[in-house]
Amino acid sequence: MGSDKQHDGSENKALVFEVKGNSLDDGPGIRTVVFFKGCPLDCLWCHNPESKKAEVEISFDKEKCIGCGSCIAVCTEKALDKDRPSFIDRQACNLCMKCTDACPGGALSPVGRFMRLDELMGEIEKDLPFFQASQGGITLSGGEPTLYMGFASLLLQKAKAKGIGTLLETCGLFDYERFITSLFPYLDIIYYDIKIFDEEEHRRFCGASNARILKNFAELNTMCIEAGKELRPRIPLVPGITATRKNLLAVAHFLKGLGVTKVELLQYNPLWLSKLDTLGQNSEASRIGNLEDWMAMPLVEECKAVFEGFEIR
Amino acid sequence: MFKGDLANIATHMALQAMAFSFNHLPGFMKYLSTDDGELNFSIGLRTENGNVEQCISFLEGKVGVSGKIPADVDTEMVFLDTSILKDLASLPPNEVLNLILKNKLIVKGNLVYAQLFNFFISLFVKGKQIKMMQKQAAEHMPVSCDTASIIPSPAKSVNKQLKGEAVDPGVLFLKDDPYLSRYSLEDFPRLRRFLDIHFTVKPVICHERPLLLTRWFRKNGFETDKNGNPLVPELRQAEAFKHLMENRKPIIRKDDLIAGTTTTHEIGVVIYPDSHGTMIWGELFTTPYRQLFPYDISDETREILHHSVFPFWTRRNFKEWVRDTHKKPLCQSMDDRFAVYFLWKTAALSHTILDYPKLLRLGAKGIISEIRAELASDVHADSLKKDTLQAMIHCYEGLIAYGRNLSEQAGTDAEKETDPARKSELLHLSRICGKVPENPCTTLDEAVNAIWIHWVGVHMENTNAGFSLGRMDQWLQPYFASDLEKIKGEKEREAYIKHAVELIGCFYMRCTDHLPLIPDIGNYLFGGSSSDQAITLGGVTPEGEDAVNDMTYIFLKVTEMLKIRDPNVNARYNREKNSETYLRRLCEVNVNTTSTPSIHNDTVVMASLEEFNYPPEHLRDWAATGCVEPTLSGKHIGHTNCMMFNMVAALEMAMFNGRHPLMRWDVGPKTGDIDTGSFPSFDDFFHAFCTQLDFLMNNSCEYNKLLGEAHSVLRPTPYMSGLVEGCIAKGRDATKGGALHNSSGTACIGLADVTDSLMAIKKFVYDEKKVSLQDMKKALETNFAGNTYLHSLVLHKTPLFGSGNNDAVEMANRITGYVHDRFGEHINFRGGKYTAGFWSMSNHVAFGTLTGALPSGRLAGKPFTPGLTPEAHASRNLLDNIRDVSRLNPGSMNNNIAFNVKVVPSQKESHKEAVDHIYSYAKTYSDLGGMQMQFNVVSSATLRDAMAHPENYRDLMVRISGYNAYFVTLNRDMQMELIERAEFGV
Repeated sequence: MGSDKQHDGSENKALVFEVKGNSLDDGPGIRTVVFFKGCPLDCLWCHNPESKKAEVEISFDKEKCIGCGSCIAVCTEKALDKDRPSFIDRQACNLCMKCTDACPGGALSPVGRFMRLDELMGEIEKDLPFFQASQGGITLSGGEPTLYMGFASLLLQKAKAKGIGTLLETCGLFDYERFITSLFPYLDIIYYDIKIFDEEEHRRFCGASNARILKNFAELNTMCIEAGKELRPRIPLVPGITATRKNLLAVAHFLKGLGVTKVELLQYNPLWLSKLDTLGQNSEASRIGNLEDWMAMPLVEECKAVFEGFEIR
Repeated sequence: MFKGDLANIATHMALQAMAFSFNHLPGFMKYLSTDDGELNFSIGLRTENGNVEQCISFLEGKVGVSGKIPADVDTEMVFLDTSILKDLASLPPNEVLNLILKNKLIVKGNLVYAQLFNFFISLFVKGKQIKMMQKQAAEHMPVSCDTASIIPSPAKSVNKQLKGEAVDPGVLFLKDDPYLSRYSLEDFPRLRRFLDIHFTVKPVICHERPLLLTRWFRKNGFETDKNGNPLVPELRQAEAFKHLMENRKPIIRKDDLIAGTTTTHEIGVVIYPDSHGTMIWGELFTTPYRQLFPYDISDETREILHHSVFPFWTRRNFKEWVRDTHKKPLCQSMDDRFAVYFLWKTAALSHTILDYPKLLRLGAKGIISEIRAELASDVHADSLKKDTLQAMIHCYEGLIAYGRNLSEQAGTDAEKETDPARKSELLHLSRICGKVPENPCTTLDEAVNAIWIHWVGVHMENTNAGFSLGRMDQWLQPYFASDLEKIKGEKEREAYIKHAVELIGCFYMRCTDHLPLIPDIGNYLFGGSSSDQAITLGGVTPEGEDAVNDMTYIFLKVTEMLKIRDPNVNARYNREKNSETYLRRLCEVNVNTTSTPSIHNDTVVMASLEEFNYPPEHLRDWAATGCVEPTLSGKHIGHTNCMMFNMVAALEMAMFNGRHPLMRWDVGPKTGDIDTGSFPSFDDFFHAFCTQLDFLMNNSCEYNKLLGEAHSVLRPTPYMSGLVEGCIAKGRDATKGGALHNSSGTACIGLADVTDSLMAIKKFVYDEKKVSLQDMKKALETNFAGNTYLHSLVLHKTPLFGSGNNDAVEMANRITGYVHDRFGEHINFRGGKYTAGFWSMSNHVAFGTLTGALPSGRLAGKPFTPGLTPEAHASRNLLDNIRDVSRLNPGSMNNNIAFNVKVVPSQKESHKEAVDHIYSYAKTYSDLGGMQMQFNVVSSATLRDAMAHPENYRDLMVRISGYNAYFVTLNRDMQMELIERAEFGV
């Protein structure tokens, strides 16, 4: 795989899979969300499966394919075959992207592109007037933005210099010292995911220990109180995994111990499942039956009730 | 003698049967004679390939059929083929109109006779027609719909209310909460009852106006008097108007705080036979049964219209006058075919705003004195000036007479009234009408009644199409303030404020008491449109100061509570002078009503008119007219909707070397044959497009001029002229250029579709050479059937207007610039220049159905985008749409624009958040220099549910493009167009 397809750790560019303007759900006001590509966790239910790998990928949406064969004609690696169920031979593919250029209907498309800092700032600045009218700003999300600590730091500094509000969404698995020196000073708000309290369960479903995540949260909580910044714990409700009474009680207990009074519960939706196919990925989710359904409201209410018992709303 | 074709024989036999009935059966015979004598006319019927040719002639009570159409036939109906001919006898008249719209039936010559002929067909088959229409209505299958996913529309749920701070300097009395959040419709049972009537009572066609006028003209003459001396049109119209106002029935509606009505019915349809009134002739039996906007009609009214009204006007209407006087000009034949442009001047020249402050200040008597003073002081006045001024005096005498009659009627009603509260209201009304509009007003009650009674007068003279009310908040505030200053007690003041809200509510409900006459074809062209009486709020005063005042917020409160489509409420937001509190309230009302008001960026609208060098104090007094278009209040005839102009037609004609595909007509200049490689560069093709545009603009302006002349001859407007600055001093009627400022405004339709199509051609044919222009043309001819690759390519990879692509914005500016500049070279009949607007009423749907596939990938028959709104799939990001539209050059869009945005509040967000988001969009759009914006706050899911269960959504209001309509009353194409618009969450 060519080096231009993988991140080299540079502070001047980062792998981004979407810059989404006009977001109203990722913080106050009108926001532009930068989705970084790559994550240290490997959550089974990840809502953005395209964000997991810190490398460029290719996506194939068979619903959009009109079968014109333009892509096959330009592929030099013979990686495309109409008779292959997944269509793309991802081993053979060298990600030259000739096929995505040739595709008339956007069925084949690249996922992730390296963006330079000035390039990304250029896109963000287009939305400046909207931020001003709405008290909005940028939200760094992912993937995991702290994977690009140096880049993110420069981005946040530039944003602050322009008077743009800043918010970070994180999984919490980061180097605390570095976070505090390079990101924290330039952040207004932090949304912090706490998924599973039990370490073993966390390893099993998220692919890593949560020890550092919980420790980071506790320390950051103290820092935020001192600095008067909002730190919002968020729990993605995944039926049978995070949305169990046992897990929520443990999380609530943990938060209560830190004096936290607010939590955001994210209602589960199964839309991510359809994204897997387009990336040629398989999911263990099919083995866990109820992940294919939308989460029922009564269940969400039950989850809320757990926290209300701890006076966390 | 006729050709032996079977269809021809069948047609001949059918016509013979018709002729036999008229010649021998009294039940039919009686329809041949009218108050104007026997109906004499001839109708030719033929197919395009000539296998059928027949003529039926009606002459002095005898009907004959022949196998040859004479050259001097009155009306010729040309059918695409024999199957369409069969439809004529079997389809209901409204469907026949649809055949004309779709160009499957071409009517040449006098269109009124075609309607009369349809009426005659109805005489034979009305039973069958009615049954078919009832069956159609019953079979109208609701679209399937997943009710589980329905988000309740904000209009359905209980309104949520923010409170406002009194920061606007003009707010003098609503200090504690200018938003008036303490009131809701529940506090106004009177208004609730009026709303119930509005939504449940079927409108009725009213013959009062046309009958009184027609009888007067028949007795006193039209072109000449009884002795054959030519009549001065101004005087003729004025005397007839006075007669009408003196003799029409004065009606005080039950429970109303305002006296007078436009018709004798609860909700009436006013007939203007000198404009387009006769277009309903063919539907007189069936109009109660049609699916869209049915009208009731009594047997008496039908007989009166057929025998005593319409025959007088068969040639005395704007269209037919032009046809006869100017010998069937090409520019008119093109308009008759609907596909390239539609001239509103065939129906009205109104679309203006009169000098209301003058009416309130002087009263009719004062206006008459002013006219007399002008007559006395101008010793050199020519006879036309003297006649014109005399005509105005007659008109205002007519207004005084009507006011007095209303006063008397209110008194009579009061005597009979048993409820003491109502009795006192009626006595109050009797006193008011005894004083105004004859004399100057001193109170808000008087001012509102004076405006309404005058408004009735306006509509007795002028077609109810887009005539607008203007800056009501500005003009009523002095009376509101003066009333309140006299009241000292807090409780009494509050009661007065509540009364003011109720009074304005009654005024809105009065404005909806009349409907424009829409022949069924109009339901497809202008679906759901009311008469679009625009009210404009806010902005700046003529001196340039913040104009937002107490009445601004009272009008907004009424707008929010009533949620009715007419009056069409527009708001000026001046970002240099107006407060954020005011803008936020505009957004809140928009959320709570789902679709109104439309928001105008005040400084940009004014800047767009720079080239006219209007005095600043005139310009600052602009108000929206009809839909969105600016008129300088009280001194400007801008006929701001003189035409709906289809820019896409020019593109099609450039693709097909001057031929319009749907019309099957080689009408345009030969700009080059694509198949012989005519266009080596993109600019060559663009040039061809411009040449076709020129051709269409030249013709539409030519027709507009001829129609302007027709107005001056057939229906000068001395009543209106008395309240348009300039007319008295010049002694010239408004139709003859008497106004201080004159212009004509166009609505150019299809900007996004044309821009995207040209971008596709430029990119794929010229820049990337992925496809040849020949192949593109072939793909259009087959509606992309044979070329899915190309279709997919243009749909997905064209840099679209609204996607944030600079080249597309540049292309759009190039097009608006060209259209503006070329229109700007034309001069109208009144000596004024043209303005170019980019909004569409509902013609983006109608013109869309008459247009083939486009290089942008839009398929044949599909709607264009509304106004200049970007294509729904241009971007998932609303900010791209907002940015691109705001980058269009306002100087090229001086008849304003319509930018429609559909937003859906998410369930988890609060009312305040929804308002905040919409506020942020509107504010930023203004900051970026965008001109006009309007939100539909409703989801596609709700709209689908409304299609399936219309009974639950009678009051669901939507913004089409510049005007509002009730969704459930729209034709299916328009309903789908609204559903398919891009939807953005807020």
